[in-house]
Amino acid sequence: QDITVKGTVTDQKNGIPIPGVTVKALGSSKGTLTDVSGNFVIAVPQGTKLTFSQLGMVSQTVTVSSSAAIRIALSEDSKALGEVVVVGYGTQKKSVVTGAISGVKAADLENQPVNRIEQALQGRTSGLTIAATSGQPGSASTVRLRGVTSFGENSNNKNNPLWVVDGVVIDNGGIGYLNQSDIESIEVLKDAAAAAIYGARSASGVILVTTKKGKEGTLTINYSGYYGTQAPAKKLDLLNASQYADVINRAFAAGLKNGGQPLPFPNPSALGQGTDWQSVIFNNDARKQNHEVSISGGNEKSTFYTSAGYNLMDGIVATPISKWNRANVRLNSTHKIRKWWTIGENLGYSHTVNSGIGAVNREFGGPLSSAINLSPTMPIVETNPALLGQLPYTNANVVRDANGNPYGIPASGFQEMTNPLAYIQTRLGNYNWDHNIVGNAFVELEPLKGLRIRSTIGTKLAFYGNDAFSPLAYFSTTASTPRSTFRRELNYSIAYNLENTISYTRDFNKHNVTLLLGQGNYKDGYSRQLVTTYFDIPATDFNSANMRFKPIEANKTTSGDEGTEHKVNSFFSRVQYNYDEKYLLTALIRRDGSSRFGPNHKFGYFPSVSAGWVPTREDFFPKNNIVNTLKIRGSYGVTGNDVIGDFAYVATVGSGRNYPFGTAGNVIIGYSPEASPNPNLKWEETKQTDIGIDATLFNDFTLTADWYKKKTTGILQTPPTPDYVGSGSPARNLGDMQNTGFELELGYRKQIGQIRFGISGNASWLKNEVTKLAPDVNFIETDGASFQNMGTITRTQPGHSFNEFYGYQNLGLFQSQAEIDNYKGPKGTVLQPNAKPGDIKFANLNGDETIDVNDRTFLGSPIPKFTYGFTINLGYKNFDLVAFGSGVAGNKIFQGLRRLDIANANYQTKILNSWTPSNTNTNIPRLAVDDPNENYKKFSSLYLENGDFFRLRTLQIGYTLPKATVEKLKLQKLRIYVLTENLFTITKYSGYDPELGVGPDAGSGGAFSIDRGAYPQARTFLIGINVGF
Amino acid sequence: CKKYLDVNPQDRILTSNYYKTQTEVFSGLVSIYDSFGYQYSGLYDKVAIMDVASDDHWAGGGGPGDINDLQVMETYKLNSQSGPSTYLWSKGYQGIFRANFFLSKVTDAPIDAGLKSRFAAEAKTLRAIFYFDLVRFFKNIPLLLQEVDPAKVNDVVQALPAEVYAQMEKDLSEAIPALPATVPAATEGGRITKGAAQALLGKVYLWQKKFDKAAEQFALVNGPTPGQVNPANGYKLLNNYADLWNVNNKFNSESILEIVKTTSSNGGWSNAGASDGNLLNIITGPRGYQPIKPDAPDYYPGYGFLSFTKEFFAVIHYDPRNAPTVANLDSLRKNGIANYSDSYNNTGYMLEKFIGRQKNKPATGQTELNFGQDIYEIRLADTYLLEVDALLNGGAAVGAGSRAYQLLNAVRARVGLNPVAVTMDNLVLERRLELAGEGHRWLDLVRWGRTSVLAYKGFDATKNTVFPIPQKELNNTKIEQNKEWGGTK
Repeated sequence: QDITVKGTVTDQKNGIPIPGVTVKALGSSKGTLTDVSGNFVIAVPQGTKLTFSQLGMVSQTVTVSSSAAIRIALSEDSKALGEVVVVGYGTQKKSVVTGAISGVKAADLENQPVNRIEQALQGRTSGLTIAATSGQPGSASTVRLRGVTSFGENSNNKNNPLWVVDGVVIDNGGIGYLNQSDIESIEVLKDAAAAAIYGARSASGVILVTTKKGKEGTLTINYSGYYGTQAPAKKLDLLNASQYADVINRAFAAGLKNGGQPLPFPNPSALGQGTDWQSVIFNNDARKQNHEVSISGGNEKSTFYTSAGYNLMDGIVATPISKWNRANVRLNSTHKIRKWWTIGENLGYSHTVNSGIGAVNREFGGPLSSAINLSPTMPIVETNPALLGQLPYTNANVVRDANGNPYGIPASGFQEMTNPLAYIQTRLGNYNWDHNIVGNAFVELEPLKGLRIRSTIGTKLAFYGNDAFSPLAYFSTTASTPRSTFRRELNYSIAYNLENTISYTRDFNKHNVTLLLGQGNYKDGYSRQLVTTYFDIPATDFNSANMRFKPIEANKTTSGDEGTEHKVNSFFSRVQYNYDEKYLLTALIRRDGSSRFGPNHKFGYFPSVSAGWVPTREDFFPKNNIVNTLKIRGSYGVTGNDVIGDFAYVATVGSGRNYPFGTAGNVIIGYSPEASPNPNLKWEETKQTDIGIDATLFNDFTLTADWYKKKTTGILQTPPTPDYVGSGSPARNLGDMQNTGFELELGYRKQIGQIRFGISGNASWLKNEVTKLAPDVNFIETDGASFQNMGTITRTQPGHSFNEFYGYQNLGLFQSQAEIDNYKGPKGTVLQPNAKPGDIKFANLNGDETIDVNDRTFLGSPIPKFTYGFTINLGYKNFDLVAFGSGVAGNKIFQGLRRLDIANANYQTKILNSWTPSNTNTNIPRLAVDDPNENYKKFSSLYLENGDFFRLRTLQIGYTLPKATVEKLKLQKLRIYVLTENLFTITKYSGYDPELGVGPDAGSGGAFSIDRGAYPQARTFLIGINVGF
Repeated sequence: CKKYLDVNPQDRILTSNYYKTQTEVFSGLVSIYDSFGYQYSGLYDKVAIMDVASDDHWAGGGGPGDINDLQVMETYKLNSQSGPSTYLWSKGYQGIFRANFFLSKVTDAPIDAGLKSRFAAEAKTLRAIFYFDLVRFFKNIPLLLQEVDPAKVNDVVQALPAEVYAQMEKDLSEAIPALPATVPAATEGGRITKGAAQALLGKVYLWQKKFDKAAEQFALVNGPTPGQVNPANGYKLLNNYADLWNVNNKFNSESILEIVKTTSSNGGWSNAGASDGNLLNIITGPRGYQPIKPDAPDYYPGYGFLSFTKEFFAVIHYDPRNAPTVANLDSLRKNGIANYSDSYNNTGYMLEKFIGRQKNKPATGQTELNFGQDIYEIRLADTYLLEVDALLNGGAAVGAGSRAYQLLNAVRARVGLNPVAVTMDNLVLERRLELAGEGHRWLDLVRWGRTSVLAYKGFDATKNTVFPIPQKELNNTKIEQNKEWGGTK
């Protein structure tokens, strides 16, 4: 005879009801879950034992004796993941951690529609600056931990943190294989105390990713998925055809050489609106969807977690050639073979297929740059019969639309720029692909209680490549594909690591000690590439192109390449000690040898020590309701960076210095020396001090604050060699840089009646300063960012931050000839003799008789000084709402959307306010086609804009179906939600998007915030569902 | 475990293991020639710079910012940060570094002694070529004869121009005896010969106004009888001027030294400057060229640079060299024979000598970057006229029947022109017409002090006779800017 039992499950700590607790009748298949108010109802025979279990809580079992309501208060399980922090080669109770570690848990990531894992961290933890490099689906973001740690050549790679997934070291570009639904937790090791256990590769920080594992006793099947639409969040205000004609006429008339000639556009107003090129390439309904099924469970012998996912995203720009999709499979399991012997594996596989628009955040060649710069007077498709009978439309290779009409062809002077639709058509079908297998297998022995011996072998296997067909095409007088090509590229790479550790944990009275000894061998950089190109095969589009066509030898080219192996060999040891969780100490040291270090410095030692004190556990600490817990901690440590290039310590000769002799024109291969060697080459060293507190206040607030000072010394500098040397000079460990910062993380949670409320926020202040360069070197511009014909636009100089913008100071506009004539050097020379009223007055900063390169100055930093983010959680009955936003402040953005080398490139509408004799109250200089004062050709503050922004990243409203309904459907859980990404962005920036990571092109010099026409982030609306079976 | 860290540098060749065989040593020599032929990835070379700087050409191209370095050269708005200085400077010193390194290695290389001395002579001649350009363009330059000590990179100082000239004279005098008078064109065409080094030495003397010595060297190159084959080296003016620009006519009897180009180096856009194809061929092509009638020339459409000025066209219009020199697109369009798009500052007169042709299109690789026409660094008509120059300015007899008279009029007779007297004005005009578009005129005008004709372009005689030393060379170093550019040298 069943009796119906009701009850409530609450959190022992604060009395808040816990939803989703598994209530299971032992010895039968009956079970249920608590609802959002922590209530449950179950009908079982009297005497049945009910277990109450929840992840992160200690399970409880009670025997049903009557139908009286059961009240269960679950306590937190200190061994469960919820209270344990992954610290590298082990875990540690959060209460005794002495390093600065920020974390993100699965719950925080749930239903965030990101497709790369680093985006899941954006705005969620302090100390991280994360910015998208492109809105191209699947693009990696730039991640910087506690500022820019290093500079110089390869600075982008050097500053990427080390990612370690389940113990396997992965480079920043390689983590794209991860599916965020599989993530259990992400820990960011911010200070040297935490990171130094990864030694010579940890200076830019370490991010540990742990994937989900199965749990004993429960079999869980979950489906989650979303589907939605994306649109550009913003369109630029560009000139329409008649405005454009007016502006071009104005610039032409003001030109020096063109006096007396007829205007290019005799009748601007007749041109009307013309073509809106942005609308031509933007997609206001680009699709995005994700599906994921996971099954996990286990018994006392074995546990497993397995999942399959599929993620698809179309780009909002030039969608037919901007697509991304990824399929994932994961299998994690552990098996207890004997009581003291465990084996297991964590294995992830992913397959990605994507296509891209080609030039991303580059001013040259891409369809986005074309849309911004092409003339609005140019037609999308040319239909005028008079023009169709003439050149250039009679060219046999003009690109035509589906109706056979030729796409409009840019006029002479638009350089390599193409009609974006013609461009899209000639790239249709081209795609990139990859297969990634990343995983590890381990054996763990526990011969004595507390003694664990573990061996892990991890590997990352990648296969990747692309197929591209370029048909014959005539885009313009300066852009054409005179021969068709079909190109196939195949690559593979292998990396592995082997690690062996012994750890021993023991409590003596109130002393708790954990010792760790470990050894590791790592190898990466091994890669092989083959590229084959067939010319002139009889195919007209991608679908008809294949390698079964066998062209003659002359119409085939093949090339190959291979990477240089990088090996690291390490020993490490760590001791963690605490007395009654009151006095805490961690000390560690790692020794790393790297194949990149010179023979005189083959091994580096990386020690760190950290200590903490928990005054609230002292007897003398008054019991109060203001400070519930408080931990004060401090650390100091040394970390290294071995991204210093391969074989820089030996003298090598390089090839490719070829020359043809003789009438046959056969090329003879020439070799000459590369830079001279530096046998003293070693790692860059980063010393970091961190002081922080962790506290719980007023029962509901949590607070973590950290101050740090991080100094990198021996930054690899190739002293900017004057060209008269004739070859590069070797890189040497010469530069220093310092970051100081303050970080704050705050949390608050409260339940008032039916309303659940939580807010968590973080804020980081950062000051980056280069403190030393090579001797006799006052500044470097060689590694800086450059822009079109302006040359370098950033400079790295001691006393300033890395790659600050550097150009002319703009003193406003000359309003009269008299002002120009009176603007003189100390000896009376007119400084800007070519100027006319309406031209920029450049500051004569060095006080000589000319305005030249020596008058440039620092104009602002591209690195945000302040980054912040917050999440608000609201719940009412079965409804929940999550709002998550983040922002940055204190940086400048270089707005380089217009092509300077194209006189007739289109403008944003703000140009209508440029200076004219009748419009003098403006800061936009006058237009003149040859620009004799170089208003637009010189890099001045004219190009810089404030980079501050706040973005509401996601806003989500969910509804969890009531228990009764769910049970009727024979389900455990059903939640539906609607979600929007990038609902709004508050910014004064005039380009598409103020979020600009380090551009992927070589001209970025590792600098943030340079906009050459970056692919904008989409605004997304999604509906989603989570089902538990 | 140290052994574990030894990674085999399979993709690197260690300097210490190199230059051990004849092939390896030769590859080191080839790398110096590579610098000699090096063009800038921004699609120009020395000829383009010199043409645009002269009064004969406009930069042209797609607009006022297209190949900006050429545009600022044309208008003389160049400065130490923008313009072609960096290319000219770094090209020269890259070649000097390779030559210096090669010379330091070749002495001990275990190869045949005769080869060794020939290789060394070639390296020295090439080093002199690099220094000759550098000293003419930048005047005050460092004179480096060995690798710069990495620890003292910033301590290098400039030499006096006279010291640079003295070194060139020394290098060339040492090289001449070890160089062959001729080389087999099929396999070694393009290698430095005795005549090339002598011609260069003659120029080095002429630029120092050592007229007698210059004339002496040029006479060795030009031979005893102007207009006839020089028995010492086989040099003779081609009978047909237009044949000089036939791309298949490499290493002809008028060619003394040429920059060899090929259709088969497979140059690509990722590093256009590394292509061994001729970039002039594509940049001089008329923009969007389309033949209409069958008799239209088979120009390959290009980027419309280096168009001739109307003033130059007026000068050459009735000269027999007009047709091989000027592509008259204006006339082709007016007569409905072919069509094209205007260049910036379009005149309709393009540089016929270098425009790429459909029939010469490379069979493989990126078409634009792989045309194969060679470029004359020195040719016999040039050395004929330079000898005239040396004789005339050196005070030798120049009347009818004199050697100078015979030389000047041999050049004219080749294109069917009547003799003229040897005067400075006649020589200036003859060089302008004979060598049009080949990059000589600007250097001549500066040498003669006849730069007033450049004033309309913005040429300022107080500063534009030399180039500004690139800013990067001045930063943190002991190099001083030329006083013409606000410096102290």
